[in-house]
Amino acid sequence: MTTSTVLAAAGDVSGGEEITFWILAPLALIGAIGMVAARNAVHSALWLVLTMLCLGVFYVLQAGPFIGMVQIIVYTGAIMMLFLFVLMLVGRDASDSLIETLRGQRVAAIVLGLGFAGLVGGALYRAMDGTTAVGLEQANAEGNVQGIARLLFTKYVFAFELTSALLITAAVGAMVLAHIERRKQDKVDQPSTMRARFAPGNYPGPKPGPGVFATSSSVATPARLPDGRLTERSTPDILPVRELTAQETSLKGTDQ
Amino acid sequence: MEETVHYAEATGLLGSVWLLVAIPLVSAAVLLLLGRRADRWGHWLGVAAIGAAFVLGLSSFFQLRGLENKSVELSLWDFIAVGDLRVDFGLLFDPLAAVFVLLITGVGFLIHLYAVEYMAHDAGRRRFFAYFNLFVAAMLLLVLGNNYVMLYFGWEGVGLASYLLISFWYGRPSAATAGKKAFLMNRVGDAGLAIGIFIMFATLGTTQYDEVFNGVGALTGATVLVLGLLLLLGAAGKSGQFPLQAWLPDAMEGPTPVSALIHAATMVTAGVYLIARSNPIFSANSTLQLVVVSVGALTLLMGCIIGAAKDDIKRVLAWSTVSQIGYMFLGVGLGGGAYALAIVHLLAHGFFKANMFLGAGSVMHGMKDQVDIRRFGGLSKHMKITWLTFMMGWLAIIGMFPFSGFFSKEPIIVAAFEREDWTAWLFGGAALLGAGLTAFYMTRLFVLTFHGPKRWTEDIEHPHESPALMTIPLVLLAVGSVGAGFLLSTSVPDWLTATAGLGGEHAEHEAVLSHAVITVLSLLVTVLGAGLAWFLFRAGTATAPQPAGVLVTAARRNLYTDAVNEAVFEKPGIFLTRALVYLDNRGVDGLVNGLAAAVGGGSGRLRRLQTGFVRSYATSILAGALLVMAAFLAVQAGWLA
Amino acid sequence: MTELKLPSLDYAALAPILIMLGAALVGVLVEAFVPRRSRHVVQLTLALLAVLAALTMVVLNADDRLITAGQAISVDGPTLFLQGAILVLAAMALLLIGDRSVERGGAFVAQAAVTAESADDRRQAEGRNGLTEIYPLTTFAIGGMLIFVAANDLLTMFIALEVFSLPLYLLCALARRRRLLSQEAAMKYFLLGAYASAFFLFGVALIYGFTSGIPGRGAGVDFSTINAAVTESPTSPVLLFAGMALLAIGLLFKAAAAPFHVWTPDVYQGAPTPVTGFMAACTKVAAFGALLRVFHVAFAGAAWDFTPVLGAVAVLTMLVGAVLAVTQTDIKRLLAYSSIANAGYLLVGVLSPSRDGLSGTMFYLVAYGFSVLAAFAVVTLVRDADGEATHLSRWAGLGRRSPFYAGLFTFILLAFAGIPLTSGFTSKFAIFGPALDGGQAWLVIAGVLTSMVLAFPYLRVVVMMWLSEPGESTPTVTVPGGLTSAALMIGVLATLVLGVAPAPLLDLATGAADFVR
Repeated sequence: MTTSTVLAAAGDVSGGEEITFWILAPLALIGAIGMVAARNAVHSALWLVLTMLCLGVFYVLQAGPFIGMVQIIVYTGAIMMLFLFVLMLVGRDASDSLIETLRGQRVAAIVLGLGFAGLVGGALYRAMDGTTAVGLEQANAEGNVQGIARLLFTKYVFAFELTSALLITAAVGAMVLAHIERRKQDKVDQPSTMRARFAPGNYPGPKPGPGVFATSSSVATPARLPDGRLTERSTPDILPVRELTAQETSLKGTDQ
Repeated sequence: MEETVHYAEATGLLGSVWLLVAIPLVSAAVLLLLGRRADRWGHWLGVAAIGAAFVLGLSSFFQLRGLENKSVELSLWDFIAVGDLRVDFGLLFDPLAAVFVLLITGVGFLIHLYAVEYMAHDAGRRRFFAYFNLFVAAMLLLVLGNNYVMLYFGWEGVGLASYLLISFWYGRPSAATAGKKAFLMNRVGDAGLAIGIFIMFATLGTTQYDEVFNGVGALTGATVLVLGLLLLLGAAGKSGQFPLQAWLPDAMEGPTPVSALIHAATMVTAGVYLIARSNPIFSANSTLQLVVVSVGALTLLMGCIIGAAKDDIKRVLAWSTVSQIGYMFLGVGLGGGAYALAIVHLLAHGFFKANMFLGAGSVMHGMKDQVDIRRFGGLSKHMKITWLTFMMGWLAIIGMFPFSGFFSKEPIIVAAFEREDWTAWLFGGAALLGAGLTAFYMTRLFVLTFHGPKRWTEDIEHPHESPALMTIPLVLLAVGSVGAGFLLSTSVPDWLTATAGLGGEHAEHEAVLSHAVITVLSLLVTVLGAGLAWFLFRAGTATAPQPAGVLVTAARRNLYTDAVNEAVFEKPGIFLTRALVYLDNRGVDGLVNGLAAAVGGGSGRLRRLQTGFVRSYATSILAGALLVMAAFLAVQAGWLA
Repeated sequence: MTELKLPSLDYAALAPILIMLGAALVGVLVEAFVPRRSRHVVQLTLALLAVLAALTMVVLNADDRLITAGQAISVDGPTLFLQGAILVLAAMALLLIGDRSVERGGAFVAQAAVTAESADDRRQAEGRNGLTEIYPLTTFAIGGMLIFVAANDLLTMFIALEVFSLPLYLLCALARRRRLLSQEAAMKYFLLGAYASAFFLFGVALIYGFTSGIPGRGAGVDFSTINAAVTESPTSPVLLFAGMALLAIGLLFKAAAAPFHVWTPDVYQGAPTPVTGFMAACTKVAAFGALLRVFHVAFAGAAWDFTPVLGAVAVLTMLVGAVLAVTQTDIKRLLAYSSIANAGYLLVGVLSPSRDGLSGTMFYLVAYGFSVLAAFAVVTLVRDADGEATHLSRWAGLGRRSPFYAGLFTFILLAFAGIPLTSGFTSKFAIFGPALDGGQAWLVIAGVLTSMVLAFPYLRVVVMMWLSEPGESTPTVTVPGGLTSAALMIGVLATLVLGVAPAPLLDLATGAADFVR
């Protein structure tokens, strides 16, 4: 019963709602601006998370608890986190230049964006000022989730089913764009792996781990062979060999 | 408006006359589309298509003979319906159309057959047959349409096919030039026809044959005159009549079967068809008829004179075509019963001229494409079949009894003498003189080619007869040259008069000379002309050009018509063009160039907005969105509209 | 809680849509279970059969005039006509997409994930068979378009928009040659498409707000509610107009109208040519079908208000398309700008309030679709060692090299220029006539003037093909296989037939020009 009371009361704008709005709205806006302005992709994503969280709260405030929760759980919790993972995996130092090469582009975009927002916002504000919300009680009469379910499975059932086509397309698209099929000759079996391993010119033993007999614990530090030489084989190919300082190369006195 | 012309609805087998056009058209499309894949069998498809059309045409012909109303109409669909203009895509099958269909498909079939062998060694044989079928389809549309717009379509279609075929060997500059010449001269005529059709629509509001013919009585004399002259211009262009005759001999640059089918038997007779079809228009104005007769008479003499001076076998035949079509124009111009006579002559001419062209092709085939009759001679021993069949054609064209030319040409001469005033002497005399000259130059051609001493070029050792595929059509056409005329002259004219408006009353007044006298006279001049030529050329001729008198020189130069064309049309045309270009450069272009520069400059500047960067695109979309939004809100606020 | 009652679904009326979506699903399964060798044939057959079956259902439904699936789908004259048009054009496009004889392995990349321009990529460009996932994607797109022209509420329309756009974004990225260009095109199309979708969605929200509060009727985004709201809603009309503007932006983007056309040239150029043809023909039909329905059904009451604004957009579109076409040097970009200008002409038809305007627009869509597909079919044929030779300078003297194909292309260009006896003439006539009758003379004048400007680039190509000597770099024309020839011939013949005997199709369009409301 409490849910429906809360929902029923949400028709009017209460004091608490107003306060929450004025606190979160600037935050959402800051998040949005920060997302565009941040140089670092991870920061951008995090700013977006902030905006989405605020929006989720707004939905709940406006008597749409279900959509609010979905916003937080699915968008913020799942999708944005997935996004962050991908960013982390790709490497957070994306080297895209952020210098704007088009003359006037930024100014134009900002002016036009503000203009559009001002125009739509102003017009809507003028038009909607003093309008009271209607239909909310009706929509939530059976409870919010039930109301949404009713719409999804009656009035919009066709559109709802149609979204499955979108999901399948997206899955096929992801496969097509990201998946490389190995050709048969590219697949290697155990014997040929072994043969390649013991082929002349290849070192069959395990590679020394980085930092073995090393003077630093970094993965970029090459291992030291028993004869005291450094071996580059121990460091991953993609990492540049770290230039060691004299202090680092000097023995630490542990051999005494 | 009194209904004098009425066409019945087509039923039964006649409901499928549209197939006559469709079959060759589809075949042409298939040949063009399949490309090289059809190279091996394409020519047989072409032959089969025409054969099928012939069979269909023949059965339709017999169907029509059995009908009460000899004209049936088949409306396929509304072709153009814009405002008041309604053009039907419809066909009309009446005696006139029927005999043309038989001529086109029958002779066309034989020539197709001949071409299979003639073009056997040409890499473009499939293309050739595709164009050839296209031509037949267009020609059939021309004669089968039930309104002037359909006719115009066929008219342009045959023009296109003829252009493509004349310049078939487009690698040769002469062929390309000849194609262009034909195209340009035909355009002059076509423009006349097109304007004629416009006038028809403007004054009568229709282009359907029946409606036009029923309405022509209501027009003023001047309108009919202008309309008729424009149609005549179109006819003269297509049929190589004065003053648009110069393209036809040059058109011989195309392969010989093309010359035979298009530039002898069928397409060039389209002008005759147009005038015969439009006879209610031409009959309505006697001045008009006089002009047609004069054009015919002048051209027939001109063709004979020039033909007598030419040495290229195909050009001689071409000028003889010009001259023979002159006879036909003479016939259709005389009006009344002579319309039918002209059509009969057209049919007979279709046979014997196709026969002779194919014979000429056969000679060239055996003589390594030599065309100069001064380098032939004595071929009768080496090419028996060609010789014999060519002889039939020769006897037919000079009008020797009892070959077809006699039955078809002599009545025209008689009809010319039947005019009611002094012009009877003028046109009758011209026709008679033409008969003599025809006998002279055709005999010259025949003797120099097949008899007398050999004057071959060194590289020819033993000319051979052509293969059976080429000689069979020759034989069949020769049979036609012999017998067809007789057959045609007996039954066809009566039947043809069933065609709307054709025939009418045969001339009421007596000829200035009696029929028998004219017959004897025409046979006499024929024998005289032929005999003179035989006497002069039986011993051959010099192989190099000889100095000659004024008349022969003039004739060799096409009676200076090309020079006249140049002086009267080309030079002023060039001058006019230059003047216009000057004016255009200074005046109009200033304006147009200004506009063009503005467009081009604007385009170049706008193009810079298309930077290729998504963000700039998004910005411009945003700008557009802002504008659209502002506009909508302004409309809402009442600031606009 | 009251019981949920599923709205009645008229499966026969929905059949074309369901067949296409079902075929797409089967296509995905084919990818999983059919051996690689036979996939191409199976997929192509499946897709073509599905199109055929859907077309059959459209024909069988020809007399339907109903609204089904709640208020989501309306099956009426325009729906059926446009669905039929989309299916026929899509069948032609499928023939182009399925052709593997023009280029070994087809026009699509074998493995889209291989880095472009790498050694692996060069190897796969040499003739490994292209992806077969394109067929389910295309089928999905066709299905989405069928829904788009039938959608009777804005939400269904939006989802249909995404259903047909998403596969198109993907298809754009899958060119075999010039893959960076292709991927860039797909990226641009995707980003800008998403951008435009956002406008559309915002518009839907505003319209929803506008429909609230009509006495005796709940709020909703179906067209009959909106139609009623336009005259009866007590809510401020600002919502209506702002919503209308935003919806228009979203739809005009798909229709490639200026200033929302910016994506068109880049995407048309970068996408694989068969896909470009598909987009130029079918997307145009779908987008204008939706525009017609939204503005003739939902906003019919506001026609007086939106006509001047959309008219201005139409004029701008014609101008931009025509003027920019003048300086193009790439044949695909040239055709893209021509398609933009044609969007302008089509908008003129949308703005003619009469039944004739509606039927004329639908006729134009069909006629233009046939011609443009044929044009792109020729573009696929003109090739050199690096694939298609699209730079105009390379087309110089093509008439001497391949008179037949140059002749066909000339015919199509003349049709675009609106020469009589081609469908270009009759269709322009069908659009401008009703516009004149409807008092939109200014639009017609703009249309005629820009047509004249636009004739220039077309004729320039014609002149270049025929009057220039072929140079060293003039590419050869590949003799096409059966599929491309079939598509090309259908396009050319339709262009000719619709120019010579337009009456049957015009009658059909006129008979279908009635929305159910």
